[in-house]
Amino acid sequence: MIAALRTFADHLLGRGDATITVPSFDGALKPNQILEKAEIVGQFDAPEDLATDGKALYIADGNTVRRFDGTATTELRRFDRSITALCCLPDGGIAVALEGREVQVFTTPAAPSAAVTFSDPLMNAINALAPGPGKTLVATDGSTARPYRQWVHDLMERGRTGRVLVLDLASGSVRTVASGLRYAFGVCAAGSDLFVSESWRHRVIALSADGSPRTVLEHLPVYPSRLSPASGGFWLTAFAARTQLVEFVLRENAYRRRMMAEIDPEYWIAPKLKSGQSFLEPMQGAHIKTMGVVKPWAPPRSYGLVIRLDAGGVPLYALHSRVDGVNHGVVAAVEMDGSLFAIAKGPGHLLRVRLAMIEQELRA
Amino acid sequence: MSDTILALRKATKLYAGVPAIENVDFELRRGEIHALVGENGAGKSTLTKVMAGVVTLTSGTMEVDGVEAAPRTPLEARHLGIAMVFQENSLVPTMTVAQNLFLGQERFYNRLRGIYIAAQQFLQSLNFDVTPTATVGLLGAAKKQMVEIARAVLHEAKVIIFDEPTATLTPEEKKYFFDLVRDLKRRGVSIVFISHALEEALILADRITILRDGKHVVTDDAANFDRARIVQAMVGRDLSNTLYGSRKGSVRPAGTRVLTVQNLKMAPMVKNNSLSVFAGQITGVFGLVGAGRTETFKIVAGVLKRDFFHGGEVILHGKPVRYRVPAPAVRAGIAYVTEDRKVEGFFETMSVARNIYLGLLAKLPGGRFFLSGREAEKVGKSWVERLKVRATGNDIKVVELSGGNQQKVVIAKSLVQEPDLIIFDEPTRGVDVGAIVEIHELIQRLADEGKAVVMISSYLPEIMALSDRILVSRQGKVVEEFSALDATEEKIMYAAVH
Repeated sequence: MIAALRTFADHLLGRGDATITVPSFDGALKPNQILEKAEIVGQFDAPEDLATDGKALYIADGNTVRRFDGTATTELRRFDRSITALCCLPDGGIAVALEGREVQVFTTPAAPSAAVTFSDPLMNAINALAPGPGKTLVATDGSTARPYRQWVHDLMERGRTGRVLVLDLASGSVRTVASGLRYAFGVCAAGSDLFVSESWRHRVIALSADGSPRTVLEHLPVYPSRLSPASGGFWLTAFAARTQLVEFVLRENAYRRRMMAEIDPEYWIAPKLKSGQSFLEPMQGAHIKTMGVVKPWAPPRSYGLVIRLDAGGVPLYALHSRVDGVNHGVVAAVEMDGSLFAIAKGPGHLLRVRLAMIEQELRA
Repeated sequence: MSDTILALRKATKLYAGVPAIENVDFELRRGEIHALVGENGAGKSTLTKVMAGVVTLTSGTMEVDGVEAAPRTPLEARHLGIAMVFQENSLVPTMTVAQNLFLGQERFYNRLRGIYIAAQQFLQSLNFDVTPTATVGLLGAAKKQMVEIARAVLHEAKVIIFDEPTATLTPEEKKYFFDLVRDLKRRGVSIVFISHALEEALILADRITILRDGKHVVTDDAANFDRARIVQAMVGRDLSNTLYGSRKGSVRPAGTRVLTVQNLKMAPMVKNNSLSVFAGQITGVFGLVGAGRTETFKIVAGVLKRDFFHGGEVILHGKPVRYRVPAPAVRAGIAYVTEDRKVEGFFETMSVARNIYLGLLAKLPGGRFFLSGREAEKVGKSWVERLKVRATGNDIKVVELSGGNQQKVVIAKSLVQEPDLIIFDEPTRGVDVGAIVEIHELIQRLADEGKAVVMISSYLPEIMALSDRILVSRQGKVVEEFSALDATEEKIMYAAVH
């Protein structure tokens, strides 16, 4: 009863869970244009994930795995379903998630057939894979209610069915180590722990070996997604920025239900991977331009961001493509040969930023 | 007619046998702007109070227009054509601006309407944006200062003395003030002004007199001074490399996020303000008066309350907090060092030690039933030594200290609480140069120790010299962030006004 009264009061006063606030991009997340100015090394129809074995870059593009050797891209393997996650294994193998429901593991990138296949009925929206401790693979399953391509539906339904799964390569078994997550989207081993992105709670958590969670990074102004190792830390991508308008819509249940029932998802008031395509798109009322200057607080519908974390998960700096840019919807980033490669899913770009250039830009 | 309108010869003023000024010779020429510069406690205020009839000389003489005079009250000084605009407001807070302007000049029958019209016309002629019908107590510090200045001008004084006139003014208001002073000079009025902002003395004054420890050091044309020479003369040591010295070559890396302010609202001052503060860094917050900086951090510290409906969030160490009074904020590790130390910073008739001890008591839930005088002495003594508060003893009253030492007591009162987040609001306003250096060193030390430090300042060189990251506030919210490495005065000011 008291809880119900408190919920009502919070909703009325805009407090507690009903607070409609968004953190600012400041400190390590201070905006710049590094991602927007990045070199575009490839243009793909449906890029989704990246992986590297240190020698080449592997790109999940729709149904296809492509190999990028630094100069040219070649098709490596084609599947009958779209790839939703990709990772390279320490023993030289490669793992792919298909349509979020099946994971196939190959002993080499060019092996003719899968060595192990996981098609557990529990799996619904596998969106990230990473090598786990021992002979295991770790996967994040964003939602048990919605397929991967309907991630925005899961957000609007305030989904909390995300899970972290451990796939045992030796036995072929699937074990759930964490559940009830608000869209798990990205995982990476961090010592004996696993760092996991929880998108709808705008945070990164660490799961210990026994599955107990610890918050590493929270109150992010973005929806975090995939993680990958960096020298002495991690790269964390964010596929969209939070806005007060979306936060408001997420708290207005009746409005949201009606919007979902009546409006084309393309024009929902929801985060997008790209924007500016149609006059029907909703805008947030605010000053985008003042005195001829595009102000940094202009609320974006789509955004591009990669955050560099240290080994403890503390942000060091971030690479941005801001509201006036195009390299938005960044869903994957990996480090290889002194460069950071990232996928901007919105425009379908494969981007390359040299780490030396990042240091130079941030020092300037 | 002599070129000298006001002169003091061998002026000495003793307080309880201690000289505040000693054998000071001072000459003010007709129609000149004369800056009086010196550390706190150098005797500037005493010298000007003698001129304004607030205090009388113990020995020595004063001449006005070549005639010996010894005004015993401000009214007598005003009759001699000398008016003073005090550092502390001397306005009646419950009266309107117009009533304050014409205070002491009332006729037998006063028509309020007539007074308001006259005040309106007069304020407009000075280009001061102050409503004559507004109650003075409700005005901000800058507007009160404008009313003070307007009152002095209204009395058609031949000599106007300004004590720290620009301390509370915004850059635009300062420009108006400078224009006003130059206009007064053109009309033949002689101006004496005391300022800690040395650039103002260099820009505005025709001549500069420097006092140190109650003694006259030098008087010369402003053109013959530069910043280093003034500072050298003021303190007798070279501070040019330590005070607002060269640009920072490196900044401290950000530690964990200690404070997040999200979409904070407090009408009409704070509008959807968002910012973060990190451990181990000095976060400088710059903005013009009215930019909502102080209010934002007062909400964080529980001094002010955010809007009741949808007031936004304050997140401390990852947990949303809402303080209705400062005590829980103190217990949570937030210290707020006020910009208005005389009103909010200390109990001026209590001793230094007791004031510092009060800070400690605020940290204890429920306070204490019995207070220990010995503990207060011990705590006070330790902090007086740590912060180098120059007091003759722990039992000395705070009111008897100079501005810089008073500020150190206010800081000690906060630091005794061992906070994680320390918010300095205008930490060196009205503080002498020597104390500024010591306060700056203290702020740097706190950041080096890993504390999250916020420094709100309206003085750009201070912001640039100390901050690792600089937030610029405008119209109630943070609009821009700079690293100290790429910030310039032009960039910061552009963000603050555009």
